[in-house]
Amino acid sequence: MQSENLLHIQRASKTYSGVPALLDVDLELRAGEVHALMGENGAGKSTLIKILAGVTPPDSAEIHVRGERVHIASPQAAFDHGLRFIHQELHAVPQLSAAENIFLGHDYPTALGVKVRWRRLYDMARETLGRLGITHIDPRTTMAHLSPGDQMLVNIAHAFVGDDFTRAGERALIYVMDEPTAALTGAESAQLFDVIGRLRARGSAVLYVSHRMDEIFQIADRVTVLRDGQLAGTRDRASVTPAEIILLMTGRELTQLFPPRMGQIGAEVVLDVQGVTTAAVNGISFTVKAGEIVGVTGLAGSGMGALLRALIGADRRAAGRVMLDGVPLKRGSPAHAWDRQVAYVPEERRSQGLVLSHSVSNNITLPQLKRLSRAGALLAHGRERATTRELSESVRLKARGPRQIVRDLSGGNQQKVVFARALARPPKLLLLGEPTRGVDIGAKLDIYRLIRQISAQGTAIVLASTDLPELIGMTDRILILRAGRLADVVPSAGETPERLLSRCYGDAAYAG
Amino acid sequence: MLADRAQRSRPAVNWGRFLRSFGTLIGFLLIVVFFWSQRPATFMSVRNLLNITQQVSILGIVAFTMTVVMVVGDFDLSVGTMASLSGIIVGLMLQNDHALGTAILVALLAGAAGGILNGVLIAYVGILPFVATLATLTVFSGAASSLSGGRTIFGQVFPDGLVDFANGGIPLLTLNEQVVRIPHLTLIALIVLAVVWFVLEQTVFGRRLYAIGGNMEASRLAGVRVRFLRLLTFVITGLGASLAGVVLTSQLATANPTLGDGLMLNAIAAVFLGMTMSQEGEPRVLGTLVGVLLIGVLANGFTQVGVDTYVQRILTGVIIIASVTLSSISRRRS
Repeated sequence: MQSENLLHIQRASKTYSGVPALLDVDLELRAGEVHALMGENGAGKSTLIKILAGVTPPDSAEIHVRGERVHIASPQAAFDHGLRFIHQELHAVPQLSAAENIFLGHDYPTALGVKVRWRRLYDMARETLGRLGITHIDPRTTMAHLSPGDQMLVNIAHAFVGDDFTRAGERALIYVMDEPTAALTGAESAQLFDVIGRLRARGSAVLYVSHRMDEIFQIADRVTVLRDGQLAGTRDRASVTPAEIILLMTGRELTQLFPPRMGQIGAEVVLDVQGVTTAAVNGISFTVKAGEIVGVTGLAGSGMGALLRALIGADRRAAGRVMLDGVPLKRGSPAHAWDRQVAYVPEERRSQGLVLSHSVSNNITLPQLKRLSRAGALLAHGRERATTRELSESVRLKARGPRQIVRDLSGGNQQKVVFARALARPPKLLLLGEPTRGVDIGAKLDIYRLIRQISAQGTAIVLASTDLPELIGMTDRILILRAGRLADVVPSAGETPERLLSRCYGDAAYAG
Repeated sequence: MLADRAQRSRPAVNWGRFLRSFGTLIGFLLIVVFFWSQRPATFMSVRNLLNITQQVSILGIVAFTMTVVMVVGDFDLSVGTMASLSGIIVGLMLQNDHALGTAILVALLAGAAGGILNGVLIAYVGILPFVATLATLTVFSGAASSLSGGRTIFGQVFPDGLVDFANGGIPLLTLNEQVVRIPHLTLIALIVLAVVWFVLEQTVFGRRLYAIGGNMEASRLAGVRVRFLRLLTFVITGLGASLAGVVLTSQLATANPTLGDGLMLNAIAAVFLGMTMSQEGEPRVLGTLVGVLLIGVLANGFTQVGVDTYVQRILTGVIIIASVTLSSISRRRS
């Protein structure tokens, strides 16, 4: 394919206090291509984007836009060169209308420079949305009343304001999208991909950052993978497999990543879930035996995380039963579940898992304070410290000591704190939500090893994840949720990420 | 670049951190020294210092218990009118020839009940603490006025023994042929301080409260019974407020439907002043103690220096703003 080079960045390097975050990275964006940028956390993706956005000055880099050497010294310079950035978080004012958000930071049309011409503003907003093929959003709607997906589309429309497409000789632009689908449902993502398709058709280039293999294989033309700040490789989508990309990202074969099972699956059923229904899941039934690891997956909005929340009691069950060792668990009480030796690692480590301003020790002992106390009420500091030391060692936590504040730890070590908490009292049932999201590869290996060890002690484990290779490598069976219902159950052995993904979408092609 | 600079400056004294932790304490000491230099004979006397502790004791009781709700991240605006209401309850019951013990018990029960009301509204119904306690503030105030018919109760109603106790103290030493006493009120406040300190710093309950204050959702998911604990904190402030009301009424031998109303603002201010002293910006009851003493020393010192009460209030407000600003600026820089 012979197409114009819209953006070419060469030998980009950036060092933070002596630690290289980016080293001699080359990346080239052609007109009319969707270029995926992948890599583990800390691989250098965000540093590269910040350099392009003019937020972070590189130590060295040669940047060409449309064949012309440029310096991007500020966000304004990035804008002037035709770079547009769409971030994962929504930078919107929820109380304002969609139209006002689209034109936020630009001049509203006014009469006499004072009175906003609302009808004109709505028309302009409708036109901007229309150019993206979005017709279902009323620009007068308050932002807060739109779904997360529609808010993201408004966010994207905001990035288009001021670019006159109707003018002859329109400039092809460069769009950088940083995990835009993080908060979107499948249908909303589909709409976004439709918009991306239109951009590509117009000759723009899209640099698309995502962790989600399924999306990459759906929309990308080429894939560039970074590892440890260096270029691991650039591949054509058509000639690469997910396994190869994972190999590029991690430097390891899939099989090396996941340690083998250490014990046998027991005979007794530990967890028996019957018809569990909450606001987000509907009539889910399954069982988990001692020592068994059951995976749960699905697209965003499928109810995967909500199922764990229903089991721990964070979301109130409207119907159904959860039996642990044959005795029902109370609904709506995480405290009761912990008392019954259910342990939970929540999906969102920072907002749901940790008290960031507190010490390692306080975080680890929180659910077991009463058992570690004197007379059930008085803190036993010595006992807490001893427990913390012991657990820190078994999860290989890298921290200065039990009193270090958790906020200052790396993502991987923070996650190990959450794991140590779950192990403070050997659990009968362990609920894991995205246990390795946002952790570096070393911590990931430690966590997989830990999961195997816990499982070998006869703990029943439910592992909810969108990391498909992880599910296949670590679990015995996989439950697939679609729209809150249990759609499919497959044995993990012999499953591939592609086939698993199509099952998530409910694709008939792979059924059976 | 930024990281470089931070690293280079590390060996030197970290002034931001120092100011953040000790700024308020240093300010407090400077204020003490200032008044000492202005009134060397009277301000620093044992008698005056003990006098200050008595003056702040009622504020202390409210502020120490207020610290407990603020640890969780909540507020209780209703403490002032609850104190007034409790005073009225004691006055009315004594007027109707009930035993003193019964009167005090009923007043404390009213405080606990008010706390339960606040706690249920906030932790179980889900109303914002600011809104819920603003509403109950009005309810308690209305109850105090309507129970008393808007009148002040005073005089013979209050037994001499009670009034003498509230204004008396335990003899400590004899100075210039005058007996110096530790005021009973000071001792009561110290007991409340000790209890709150023990509960917050040494018990499972206290640790859980700090966890909730740090991250409510994470605490709930880690098995902390968040709603029930939040409810309990409001019961504690309710009890503290009614105890303060009982003590205040006893001391003045007067029950007035607005007597305790002013306590709330100063109590919250004292907790905020204390929060400036803790590393993570969390309320700590010993910090609150410094806040309470600061407010007390200012009132006492200004009066001795002859600053009139209206100007006193302005200056107190300015000093609170200065202290909180200083600590929030150093926090932002670090």
